[in-house]
Amino acid sequence: MTDVVSATELTRCYGEGDAAVQALQGVSLSIPKAQFAAVMGPSGSGKSTLMHIMAGLDQPTAGQISIDGIELTELNDKKLTLLRREHIGFIFQFFNLLPMLTAEENIRLPLQIAGRKVDDDWVDRVIDRVGLSDRRKHRPSELSGGQQQRVAIARALISQPTVIFADEPTGNLDTTTGNEILALLREAVDETQQTTVMVTHDATAAATADRVLFLEDGRIVRDMPKPERSDIMATMGALTG
Amino acid sequence: MRRLALKSLLGHKLRAALTSIAIVLGVAMMSGTFVLTDQITSAFSSIFQSALKGTDVILSHRQAFTPQQGGGGDTGPLPASLIPKVRAVPGVANAEGQIQALGAIVVNGNVVTPSGGAPTLVLSTLPKPYNTNTLTAGHFPQGHGQIAVDTSLANDQHLHVGQRLGLTTDQGVKPVTVVGTFDFADSASLGGATLVSTTFSDAQRWYNRVGKTSVIVATADHGLSPVELKHRIIEAVPGFVKVQTGSESADQQSKDISNSIESFLTPLLLAFAIAAVFVGAFIIFNTFSITVAQRMREFAMVRTIGASRRQVLRTVLLEAFVIAVLSCIIGLVGGIFVAKLFNQLFKALGADLPLAGITIRTRTIVIPVIVGMSVTLLAALIPAFRATRVPPVAALREGATLPPSRIAKVVPYLAALFLIGGVAIVVQGFSSDAGAFSKILRLGLGSMIIFLGTAMLSKYLVRPLAKGIGWPLQKLAPGPGRLARENAMRNPGRTAITAAALMIGVALVVFVAVFVNGFKETFLGALDRSVSANLIITPRSQGQTMPPATVRTAATTPGVAVATGIGFTEVKINHGGTDVINGIDPGKLTQVYTFDWQKGGSNVLLTRLGTRGALVEEQFARSHHLGIGDTFMVTAATGRRMQLRVLGEYKDPVLFGGFMVANRTYIKLATDPGPGVVLVRYVPGVDPVSGEQTVKNALQAFPTAKVQTTQEYKDSVSNMLNRVLLLLYVLLAMVVVISLFGIVNTLALSVFERTREIGMLRAIGTTRSQLKRMIRLESVITAIIGGILGIVIGILLAWIVTQGLKDQGIVFAIPWGQMVACLIVAGLAGAAAAALPARRAAKLNVLDALQYE
Repeated sequence: MTDVVSATELTRCYGEGDAAVQALQGVSLSIPKAQFAAVMGPSGSGKSTLMHIMAGLDQPTAGQISIDGIELTELNDKKLTLLRREHIGFIFQFFNLLPMLTAEENIRLPLQIAGRKVDDDWVDRVIDRVGLSDRRKHRPSELSGGQQQRVAIARALISQPTVIFADEPTGNLDTTTGNEILALLREAVDETQQTTVMVTHDATAAATADRVLFLEDGRIVRDMPKPERSDIMATMGALTG
Repeated sequence: MRRLALKSLLGHKLRAALTSIAIVLGVAMMSGTFVLTDQITSAFSSIFQSALKGTDVILSHRQAFTPQQGGGGDTGPLPASLIPKVRAVPGVANAEGQIQALGAIVVNGNVVTPSGGAPTLVLSTLPKPYNTNTLTAGHFPQGHGQIAVDTSLANDQHLHVGQRLGLTTDQGVKPVTVVGTFDFADSASLGGATLVSTTFSDAQRWYNRVGKTSVIVATADHGLSPVELKHRIIEAVPGFVKVQTGSESADQQSKDISNSIESFLTPLLLAFAIAAVFVGAFIIFNTFSITVAQRMREFAMVRTIGASRRQVLRTVLLEAFVIAVLSCIIGLVGGIFVAKLFNQLFKALGADLPLAGITIRTRTIVIPVIVGMSVTLLAALIPAFRATRVPPVAALREGATLPPSRIAKVVPYLAALFLIGGVAIVVQGFSSDAGAFSKILRLGLGSMIIFLGTAMLSKYLVRPLAKGIGWPLQKLAPGPGRLARENAMRNPGRTAITAAALMIGVALVVFVAVFVNGFKETFLGALDRSVSANLIITPRSQGQTMPPATVRTAATTPGVAVATGIGFTEVKINHGGTDVINGIDPGKLTQVYTFDWQKGGSNVLLTRLGTRGALVEEQFARSHHLGIGDTFMVTAATGRRMQLRVLGEYKDPVLFGGFMVANRTYIKLATDPGPGVVLVRYVPGVDPVSGEQTVKNALQAFPTAKVQTTQEYKDSVSNMLNRVLLLLYVLLAMVVVISLFGIVNTLALSVFERTREIGMLRAIGTTRSQLKRMIRLESVITAIIGGILGIVIGILLAWIVTQGLKDQGIVFAIPWGQMVACLIVAGLAGAAAAALPARRAAKLNVLDALQYE
């Protein structure tokens, strides 16, 4: 198995001098293709920073990060943008859909921005997969939270990115809807080998992943393969306690 | 609550600055207008004051009315025999005559025309104390053929004492020698006007004033007041002589100038200032509407902790009030610069006006401040009321929206009412017999109401227009174009008001362009239709005449079949207003001019003109209720009255408005018998080029006469109108610029509002340049919507007005090229206005933007 995300000794420092905060202090990890990885940790542990750096939205103070073998720290803003376009999909806690576009238009947006030729069959398949076939022409304001997050998932899947980063994708949803969203993500990993990294603080969500990375004070304190909900709860309890 | 308002302002300095710019510029234009016109008036006043400093009493010919075209020469001479009579009045220490005329110096065969269309005044020299000029070299003229010139003219033309040159007179160019140079009285600035001083007897002969004098100036014996002297002189002179003290005369001349400025220049400039403030109102309304929507949760929050609706209202209005006060202060200071700018503008376009130092009168401050303050507060009122309608519970809800305004439902009806009402006011104004000023006033009022109506209605036009305009843009730049189009449509009200601000500027530009184009077509069309001259000879300086000998000389030039002069001036009709009297040569006019006879008239009528016959223009006949055979009374400026009989009626409101009389009648009624235009036709077979050259050579002795082929003349008229158009465009540019700040402001606020969206777009792979393009294209769409609306309204207004002026021959002609150019410029301006907001958007940090709440 090849590693599609690989980080070596990442550190990220905010501010200078006495006020400096070490958000990451030497994080190394690698995520192989088709893996569904969850990142957990108490607030302030650095999990969001780690995700932002892996997704090419932030640059580490030191260390290396590569996506699909491309070293991100060497890229300028323009190249990073193009890399995100090509290799990375995003799912946000607050969906971040464009209110003036319909569900389908939101889903097609990444392709339109990239100026890529659109394969209508593929768009149909993705919309079908997330179960929005009868909601294509609806605008975000006419959709439920769960439906909006489905649109977001479809938008992430549409460009077949190397890796999808999901930032608390269930954080703004009720449990049932959240579970449906997690099932969709799981399905994408299993059926299309979609590598996915999810930041969450919800043990149930993390339990759907293949692996959970626990962060504390900017360091990976535990790497748990095949996680069970109870183990996750115990570990988190130990970290926050 | 007060602190909330101030905090909100301080927290958004850029927003506050962009909002204020509109009011700052409007106030500055208003106060600048007052500053400049006051400077001009007081300069003229000081010119007259210093020129008459040594004069106790001045006598001139009483005028029956004040002609609108003030020349600068006298308005009817007095008999020179009055001078000894005045001297004999007890208490008169001394009395002298002075000739006042218009001329020009000729250096190396070229007539020197002062810059800015100002005249060269030829004044016969007076002894002290009347003569308030200060010699800078040589002496004042003492003998025949001597002149002194003012220092600025001498410097400009590199003249020196002893130099020989020519002086244009009513008898051709006279050879003269410069014997001195002088500074005019106390004030060095005469605007562009220049002075030439001659002896009294030379001036009498050269300007056809033998045995006459333009004015008589007198001084009183020691101890006698000027007023007392005035009364004594009045007793001794005939009734047609106007006797004034020196200061009365200066005051009256100042007042005349001031009146003509107050009735033309001030309203003209103020109109642009008001347009600017009006556009500013849109921008303020829009900015406050947007910020109120953005601050909804803040208002809801203060309401949950107990703030009353009234307090919320006050917070918003206080913010508007602070903006208004600051804008007014900055605007007033800016007014001084605007005054300078206006003056530079006039100078650049060839109108040089004398300026005194800056004096700030009360109205210079009070009027702009009142207008600026009230417009700002009024514009903020509706958004402020909407702020009070935010329910407290909105503080707790994510994504709550502002409740629709209470008047939202009636807006379409109100808009329709405004549109109909506005059009009605303009139509009614131009179909009535109201005076020009009241027509223009109604045009202004009507258009404002039309603008308001369109602005309200444009909300409903934004979607289809944006769709149409966005379509090609989307083809050009699929991603950003698509988003730009959607963004332009997502808040139709906001886009509508932003576009409406630009619409006003564009509509005014278009109105002016169409109207001036119509005027041009009208004039040139009339020339083409009825004038069959090869050459058109006109005076080099506008509003002046040529020596009568010009006509005789041209007529006797080989190759010339006909040369006929036409004089025109103003006379009073019956007891009413003034109109134009045209003096023509009945035997020759029809050879170069084709009459459009009405009521069965024919060229035969010309032979019957005699000394009391008149041919009247259709409009003239109508407005004075004259039919054929009727008589009417005319009064010349000199007071001379004459009864004329209507012999026939013709139609030509453009070239020969008013009425025509034979030349021999005309010279009795005009102060200046010289022609204002000479039409020349060659004998058949004459080569046009050599014909023109022959006439030019023959008229070398009359350098004030400008010989042009008909085509050249038409071109020069077009050029003149284009210059007027340019001046109006420059003034309107300020209005357009203000509306561009509106676009900047709206976009900046939208970018701010869409921070998270921008973060998302960047995250999923939108490059900075794509983002910039998106914002630029949204701006272009908005600007083009404004452009289209403006063009439609501008053409509509111009159409209504030209329909109203149809009787005066004005045709309606749309310059399509300029319309297209207008749209392109609007689009480019929109792109330029987006620069700042686009840069801000592109500079946003993706992470910060994503986490932005």
